[in-house]
Amino acid sequence: MTDASVAPRAVRTGGLLKSAASLAPLAIFLALLLYLGVAAPSFLAPGTIALILKQAVPNVVVCLGLATVVIAGGDDVISGGIDLSIPAIAVLAAAIVAQLTTIKGAPIAFALAAGMGAALIAGLVNAFLVVVVGMTPLLATLASSSAYVGLASYVTSSRRIEVGDPFIVYLRDGSVGGAPAGVIAVFVLVLIFYFAVHRTRWGLNLQAVGGSRDAAEIAGLFASKFIAQSFVLAAIAGGVDSVFLLARGSGYAPGSEENLLLEMILATFLGAAFSPRRIVTLWGAVLGAVLVAALSIGFGSAGVDIFWTGCIKGGLILIVVASSAVSRNLNR
Amino acid sequence: MKSGTPIVAVGRPAAGWRDVFVRYGFLLIIAACFLFFALYNPSFLGVGNFKNIAEGSAVLLVVSLGMTLVVALGGIDLSVGVALDFGSAFAIVAMKEFDVAWYAAIAIGVLAGAGVGLLNALLVVRLAVSPFLATLGVYFIGGSVERIFTHGGGPISFRHLPEQYYAIGIGEVLGVPTKVVIAAGLVLVYYVLVERSIIGKRIHGIGLQPSAARVAGLKVKAYTALGLVVASATCAVAGIIASASLRMFTPLAGNAYLMNAIAATFIGASIHPHGRPNVLGTLVGVLFLGMIANGLNLMGLDFNVKAALSGIILVAALALAIAQKRLR
Repeated sequence: MTDASVAPRAVRTGGLLKSAASLAPLAIFLALLLYLGVAAPSFLAPGTIALILKQAVPNVVVCLGLATVVIAGGDDVISGGIDLSIPAIAVLAAAIVAQLTTIKGAPIAFALAAGMGAALIAGLVNAFLVVVVGMTPLLATLASSSAYVGLASYVTSSRRIEVGDPFIVYLRDGSVGGAPAGVIAVFVLVLIFYFAVHRTRWGLNLQAVGGSRDAAEIAGLFASKFIAQSFVLAAIAGGVDSVFLLARGSGYAPGSEENLLLEMILATFLGAAFSPRRIVTLWGAVLGAVLVAALSIGFGSAGVDIFWTGCIKGGLILIVVASSAVSRNLNR
Repeated sequence: MKSGTPIVAVGRPAAGWRDVFVRYGFLLIIAACFLFFALYNPSFLGVGNFKNIAEGSAVLLVVSLGMTLVVALGGIDLSVGVALDFGSAFAIVAMKEFDVAWYAAIAIGVLAGAGVGLLNALLVVRLAVSPFLATLGVYFIGGSVERIFTHGGGPISFRHLPEQYYAIGIGEVLGVPTKVVIAAGLVLVYYVLVERSIIGKRIHGIGLQPSAARVAGLKVKAYTALGLVVASATCAVAGIIASASLRMFTPLAGNAYLMNAIAATFIGASIHPHGRPNVLGTLVGVLFLGMIANGLNLMGLDFNVKAALSGIILVAALALAIAQKRLR
């Protein structure tokens, strides 16, 4: 990772171009949301917020995982931390849970334990590939995700599997004091991640490793341990996400990892645009995931062709990363 | 990855299994796989089957050449599948809807692929976006464009292909399949360009140390941009070969080659004396992957079992290749 991205960049006033470049992603997002509000009045109805939050639930969980890996590994995309396999792990765990409950008739607790076990193994494999074998996280998780998706097809024979288990249905339809149960569960999860990363000694060490690995090692931290732990934690997030994926989709659907990957990356890197230092943070990632879900719902209610939304989201990724690259260059 | 490489070389055993693994590890694994498939199914060793492996590897080989060029320049291209699909789509549609001659259709396809590379180059060189995120964005946009264009992803087939175009896919030159001839020709061109010319020296120099290359007066940005464009145009050639064999354009088919092209490139780098991505190494990587796919096919496995197995083999092969490179 480059030194310029480690040091907190002073936000200087006066550089109109600089602030324009760094604010562009947010401005474009707000403009899009505003446009959707005008184009589809139903988008501004009170029920929409609950709908958006419910839609955002699975994305928030994978974003927590990715943000943790990026915080531990640094935000350089090639040499720093990145985990592209979280959506694949979530889909693999969902496949196992769906297959065991619906097809094999196993109790939900057993199915969930099996799904989490698979996710944990996947996380250990990722950690092994990155820390012991020494693959770059990008290559390691890109390759391993193809194995996890392959395993998911093997488990389910690439079929769609309905899941009507009461626990999964409760996560979808249940409510706690008027708020959707799934949203409450994920809110608690966000608080747990926030507490672990920002309020514990372990979390501060993790951030130190991500800030500068050399400095952290000189200070006596064993950086590889934290990197490995971040990959395992991300995989656990993927495993937990399986139940929310099953709840949102009322079951397992093959091929859902690609869209999840797209939204995870968009949300996490968009989240960096909210942070004062333009770095990936937990809250930024969560906010990014909610905004991306708002866009998806908005496009839906505005009647935008579903095939266009991928195009628009891909374009947004490019705008977000290009503007942050441009503002970084201008700040040099 | 690990920054704690010891400064003082720890005394290594003079010779032993470690040295053998470091030098020949991956080649031994290739040999072991070969032996396994040969013992499992003797028809694996038939002359016709070697032709099958070569034919089945041609498209991946062409894509991997483009990938090797980009990785040698220090980048990565996740949009190779989009360039492949664009090459195939533009050529097929030009002939089907506009009655364009076969050679002009090929030119249109290659140009369409180059256009994808131009977009990558604009993002990477002009806007300084990291190659990974830039080409990932193009991957998603390209996939979406293909879905929009085909109204959801249905293939566009063209049964009445001009004979010459069809021959690219199924014809033979002196008993060798045309697509193998094309792929071999491109290997030769890439080998001379990337490994045996002053341009190649510059490409590897830029990939190893972009700032040093800039100080030395190399046009790093121009090389990077041109590399991305040439790589995408090469992938479009792969798309033309694929569309000629199937007589159709299948949307999103190109993405299937992405992981294998990356794997072949890094396997190739692992067997290079200095761990660099290189054309001949990539050729070995592609043939290894082609052998695995062919061998698994001959074992008569279920499609989903094959998907799981080839994913696991891919991870294991890459891990071994990188471990071998790091132990060196």
